[in-house]
Amino acid sequence: MIKVVHYINQFYAGKGGEEMANIPPEKVKGFVGPGMAFNAAFKGEAEIVATVFCGDSYFNENKEAIDTVIAMIKEEQPDIVICGPAFNAGRYGVACGTVASEVKAQLGIPTLTGMYDENPGVDMFKSKTIIMKTKDSAAGMRKAVAAMAPVALRMAKGEELGSAAAEGYFPTGIRKGLFEEKRGSARAVDMLLKKLAGEEFETEYPMPQFDRVQPNPAVVDLAHAKVALVTSGGIVPKGNPDHIESSSASHYGKYDIEGVQVLTDKTYETAHGGYDPVYANADPNRVLPVDVMREFEKEGRIGELSHYYYATVGNGTAVASAKKFADTFSKELIADGVQAVILTST
Amino acid sequence: MIILTNNPDVAQTFQDRNVLWVDGSYRDVLIEARDMIHQGRRLLTHPLMGSLKPNETPYRSVAVSSEQGDLDMDSLLLIENAIETFDKFAQVTRPDRGVNTPERMLADFRLIDLSLIESALEDR
Amino acid sequence: MGIIKITDIQFAAESKVEGSVLYVNRDELKAHILEDETLASCELDIAKPGESVRITPVKDVIEPRVKVSGEGGVFPGWMAKVKTVGSGRTNVLKGAAVVTTGKIVGFQEGIIDMCGEGAKYSPFSQLNNLVLCVEPVEGTLQHAYEKAVRLAGLKAATYLGKLAKDIEAEEVRTYETPTITEGIKLYPDLPRVGYVLMLQSQGLLHDTYVYGVDAKQSLTTMLYPTETMDGAIISGNCVSACDKNTTYHHLNNPVIEDLYARHGKDLNFVGVIITNENVYLADKERSSDWSAKLCEYLGLDGAIISQEGFGNPDTDLIMNCKKIEAKGVKTVIITDEYAGQDGASQSLADADIAANACVTGGNANTVIHLPKMDKVIGHIEYVDKIAGGWSGSLQEDGSIVAELQVITGATNEMGFNTFSAR
Repeated sequence: MIKVVHYINQFYAGKGGEEMANIPPEKVKGFVGPGMAFNAAFKGEAEIVATVFCGDSYFNENKEAIDTVIAMIKEEQPDIVICGPAFNAGRYGVACGTVASEVKAQLGIPTLTGMYDENPGVDMFKSKTIIMKTKDSAAGMRKAVAAMAPVALRMAKGEELGSAAAEGYFPTGIRKGLFEEKRGSARAVDMLLKKLAGEEFETEYPMPQFDRVQPNPAVVDLAHAKVALVTSGGIVPKGNPDHIESSSASHYGKYDIEGVQVLTDKTYETAHGGYDPVYANADPNRVLPVDVMREFEKEGRIGELSHYYYATVGNGTAVASAKKFADTFSKELIADGVQAVILTST
Repeated sequence: MIILTNNPDVAQTFQDRNVLWVDGSYRDVLIEARDMIHQGRRLLTHPLMGSLKPNETPYRSVAVSSEQGDLDMDSLLLIENAIETFDKFAQVTRPDRGVNTPERMLADFRLIDLSLIESALEDR
Repeated sequence: MGIIKITDIQFAAESKVEGSVLYVNRDELKAHILEDETLASCELDIAKPGESVRITPVKDVIEPRVKVSGEGGVFPGWMAKVKTVGSGRTNVLKGAAVVTTGKIVGFQEGIIDMCGEGAKYSPFSQLNNLVLCVEPVEGTLQHAYEKAVRLAGLKAATYLGKLAKDIEAEEVRTYETPTITEGIKLYPDLPRVGYVLMLQSQGLLHDTYVYGVDAKQSLTTMLYPTETMDGAIISGNCVSACDKNTTYHHLNNPVIEDLYARHGKDLNFVGVIITNENVYLADKERSSDWSAKLCEYLGLDGAIISQEGFGNPDTDLIMNCKKIEAKGVKTVIITDEYAGQDGASQSLADADIAANACVTGGNANTVIHLPKMDKVIGHIEYVDKIAGGWSGSLQEDGSIVAELQVITGATNEMGFNTFSAR
């Protein structure tokens, strides 16, 4: 019988939602929550011997969490570890990706997880563990289990997986050698003829894609321009009224700074969980330079500082999410007559 | 033109020209070149010249412009890619390179580095 | 091209080709090579496919050829006068090769195994090889020694080639070389395709010669494809065994052969543009500008670009690709990869989205295990020192654990092999 350990978060363990996201790792015998569906899908070939779960916030904010989880898994000596699936939950995705890749690297045990395309965990971990493609929410659980269980069985038996496209996992980006039927030059001629004929062809090495943005032309008359501040450094009014997550942010905040001359540690703080917040909390202007902008405003170097600034947390936030945020608030910036934006990060 | 090198033979050969001696590794030369590019200098020679891999030869020479202007993006991309490539090769350590390399082989590595930079800078 | 198939090489009292056997008078050839005063000694050996033999460190591989009719001689500028070649008939000893070895520098590289795991990766494992081990006189400098080994190989290949001058080949291959205007008239409806052949040209042990001229001193220029078949281009490149283009590769350029295979049917093969891979960045700009200009000037619809070497040439490759695509000429590039032993790292030192059609010769960092061979021709102690070998590469039992980089021709960037990566 193949021994499986399942890693899930507090929510799927039935402990609760965001309010329980701070619970430390725990282990229970047998399956919990979605583990039942996995066990059924193994059809007697494998069994979940233990389930390890941890709060998503706890996992992402405590460096020792991963060591505890690994120690718990090691005791069970499993043949394979399944994490999640995490669907589009960012912090859960990062936790699943971390557990899967560290177990694989440290214990040498095959691992498998599942995520939605836009989960930031995909880009972070696809070269380090197999990540099956899933839908964006738990509504896709049945389908995800049906796809993951047979792949997990084969991995546990030490079988080689087929291509990413055939098996339904995200391409790992890991280059594997093979002998083709035709030599390289003949393949090059075939490829060129297809390209010339406008037919589809498949390159053997996809170039790394960089999402480059062409800079806009310079602002001609800065002294009369309305300038706005936007940050991914997580500067929010004290208390984080919009509950922007410390990592894998799902939304952004829009805040009024009309009349605010300088940000202080009494009024503002950072929500960012990816850097040491001491200096940003002591003087939030270090990340969102309201103080300097007000000086520029007085000196006439800029026309005015916009009444609103926008803030999110860039810590593991998916590019797709960030694009969506900007699509929305860019329209507001334009409507407000903003001509230039200063983007600050950390 | 400024020639950055950690190869004594290059420093010797080009002693009448503007040589900046880097007392360090192949990677240190690349980092020094990157810093100079940050200060607005352009790369004149390819930082990965030669087919010797960065974890084989301990020597490196790179020429940059004396003149400083705006940041040259092409130079910056080249040097950053070169540093990334260096670090990729550094993952496979070759203990017989560098410190424990026999003198005869070091001499050959110096010679190749010198020959490549000489042929690049001839008459310039 | 007259093809004379060679299935065996033997030492004999008289040098000759009889049937498919190449007989070599060892002493006569040795004396011929040792006329060069730079050389102190020359050993000749034979390595055949399937034998338990390892050849290392390999410098160059050369196919014996001879001019039967037409202008000039094989290896113009070296073994013959600088006369334009590429017309008439050339006889080839197909299946035979001259392999040169010599420890020019302490980290000289290149392995050819005649059997076992390594033989799957090198095209030269399938050939009947006459191996030259030449040593210089005391005090010879590396530049001079490199040249002496290079010339010894060309001399030996020319010597063997001449044995086939009067043989009537059973198989004759014909390659058409119309001028540009003739080509347009012949195939008005076929896409016009060119070949951009990048030549290694960085300096000592990294050079390529065209009609005797060092390619780094040449502007980008044009050749008839058939000129390469008569040895217009020879290799002086000793570094990066897996992806250097040996003289054998230049003589049997696979892109040229495969473009000819479709010439007049699916495409109109217009010609070969040769361009260099210099170290000086302004040279790279100029050379790639000229490649793009010639592609445009020739009215090409498409071009295949092949590369040689690692690192620095990636930049030339991407520059050529970008600039040629910008002229509206569709490209396919051929390269190889250094993706790390686990295959997870970035493969090339340079990249651009214009390079959307890429053929790869595989990951040169792939780890392979080469079994012990009964016989070693050359110097095995260098295995630890060559690219892709590391300390401890040479195991106590005589086997070798190393990266694919060590195998001569393994990840060739002209697309000579079937090995690839996905």
